[in-house]
Amino acid sequence: MKNKMMSLSQATDLIKDNMLLAIGGNAMHRTPSLFTLALTKKPVKNLKLCGAAPGLATDVLLASLQADTSYFGFSGLENEAGLSPGMRKAMEGEGKVRAIEGS
Amino acid sequence: MPVGGMWGSDLVAIRPEFFQVMKSPFDDTETVCVKALVPDYAIVHVQEADIYGNCRILGPSYQDALMARAAKKTIVTTERIVGSYRMQEEPKLTAIPHFLVEAVVELPGGAKPGICYPEYQAVDWDKHKAYQKAVKADEVQKYADMMLEGRL
Repeated sequence: MKNKMMSLSQATDLIKDNMLLAIGGNAMHRTPSLFTLALTKKPVKNLKLCGAAPGLATDVLLASLQADTSYFGFSGLENEAGLSPGMRKAMEGEGKVRAIEGS
Repeated sequence: MPVGGMWGSDLVAIRPEFFQVMKSPFDDTETVCVKALVPDYAIVHVQEADIYGNCRILGPSYQDALMARAAKKTIVTTERIVGSYRMQEEPKLTAIPHFLVEAVVELPGGAKPGICYPEYQAVDWDKHKAYQKAVKADEVQKYADMMLEGRL
């Protein structure tokens, strides 16, 4: 087995334009939000995102408009956290990000 | 790939780019097939990982173990690095095995301002309100600087 430890910055450098990312967790629970916040500091763009119930970490990449497509069954933050603000910003109105709902 | 359970859903008719009906190769019954998404990376935050990428998820695992298997490779952020003896003691609790993983980042608080059972069991509402404001003001990068101070 190989040692795979790296810094947050090194790990975010693995993500390139146009990649499809499956982002873990659910709504406000155990989503990799600091990872996607770190990605907003990189010039990566046109990402495609997918998940069954994507939440906060996905919302970050929709808010930053670094994604152009999101595949989901349900997308939101649930309970008191309510709707997903970045998703609304990216998808309402002219719709800068493509929403593909498949639940 | 073939799936059961789609019969009765309008999605089969509405999304032909994802759902098609085929004859089963074993008999003449009709089978719904779904186009598979193959992610370049699954990105998963876990409570425990070793330096090789063996991961334990405490509490609900949602689709994370499936995502790691569907993706070409997985990037893991973890609340803490543990010795591999933890995995060897109870191998069945390894949700994601090392060979699916390309990167392990030690990142306590990696799910904040959200929840990561049992490390932090409530949303950090002040930080979450700050996020909602940052989204409205187009200041997500500034918010990221605040959340990531000293971690990059």
